[in-house]
Amino acid sequence: MRPVLPRDMRVLGMSTAEKDDILIERVGRGDVAAFEELYRRFARPVLGMALRRLRDTGRAEDAAQETFAAVWRSARSYRRERGSGTAWLYAVARHAIIDRARRRTEAAAEVSEEASPDAQPEERAESSWLAWRVHSALEQLPERERVVLELAYWSDLSQSEIASYLDVPLGTVKTRTRAGLARLGGLLQEVQE
Amino acid sequence: MGSVPPRRPSDDIRDLVGADVKPDELERLRHADALLRKVPPPPAVVPASLGAAVMALARPQRRLLAPWRLSIAAAVVVAVFFFALGAWVGTDDFGERAAIPMESTSEVPGASAVIRLGEADASGNWPLRLEVRGLPALPPRAYYVLWLARDGEYGGTCGTFRVGDDGSADVEMNASYRLEDFDAWVVTARHPDDPPEVESRWLLEADVRPRRESDARAQPRAG
Repeated sequence: MRPVLPRDMRVLGMSTAEKDDILIERVGRGDVAAFEELYRRFARPVLGMALRRLRDTGRAEDAAQETFAAVWRSARSYRRERGSGTAWLYAVARHAIIDRARRRTEAAAEVSEEASPDAQPEERAESSWLAWRVHSALEQLPERERVVLELAYWSDLSQSEIASYLDVPLGTVKTRTRAGLARLGGLLQEVQE
Repeated sequence: MGSVPPRRPSDDIRDLVGADVKPDELERLRHADALLRKVPPPPAVVPASLGAAVMALARPQRRLLAPWRLSIAAAVVVAVFFFALGAWVGTDDFGERAAIPMESTSEVPGASAVIRLGEADASGNWPLRLEVRGLPALPPRAYYVLWLARDGEYGGTCGTFRVGDDGSADVEMNASYRLEDFDAWVVTARHPDDPPEVESRWLLEADVRPRRESDARAQPRAG
């Protein structure tokens, strides 16, 4: 029988929202381990959102750092009944990134996260939230599945090239893609396309 | 991953996952597939320096921001400040003229005290600091009195004090008398309910004549 990895347990044990809620509450009590787990899960979504908004690696990293500093400072104020932990984290990150954007000395408006430069603010917000949810869910996949999905959807590599790149059989790439998509679909079943 | 225009995977999901997928599972896979196609790529990597910076923010702050620890730290800072201030006042800037050791009587063997006498002002006020060690703690409302005696009789009060559980006290007082009119410093204990005629037993005593500072400086302070 295949041993169950901690990452699998995280995914299978409880819903994402519940897990995030609990993590934030633990952080609010000064739990550094919970903070590390929260960082591990949300570092890429936060940095991704910052990069898309700020388009500057250094400033994006500053904004990400400020986000997690704000999380550490204010997690105690989080109340589960007011909304999901994922949404709370998104709001904290968004505020930190917008604050960082406002500090720009050069004239540059906040850039769109959309492929379409004509996107309306509501669409941008919706797209940003969708990216946040998908990227956060990706972080909960087992590494082997997450890597295959990211290569498949964003690397410009074919599946044969992915197999070669990872030095695994093509069948393994398909199996991991299938498992990853299934798991992701489960995590994001409440998210509308 | 982010800068290169992505070549999306095949539109037919079965090319990605194989053809042997049941319809209900296929529906779930399609949902995830559609979401992945709608969002931009996440950053390929998160710099290790970011993680280090973030965790560095958390770890020290956890210690520093705990309110009870902050309170203790503040109390320590205040205590150190006043200790340093006391030491500072008690030496040079107090204008200490003499340190007068007090000896215990048989009533309180082992007790000791030093009167650190400052310079009198133009009005004849003698500032002094009484440093006491080893006196027993008193019941509620009772207190010790430092006074001046002449020929064994009460002459004038310099102040009252109590000691803590460790038997010590450092108290600022004042003697507004001509010291040459007296011959002894005395410490006794009193209780407000004591009748005035009750004579208190002497606990600590010293000659009024100032001795040199080196006579007794370290004795009570070391306690």
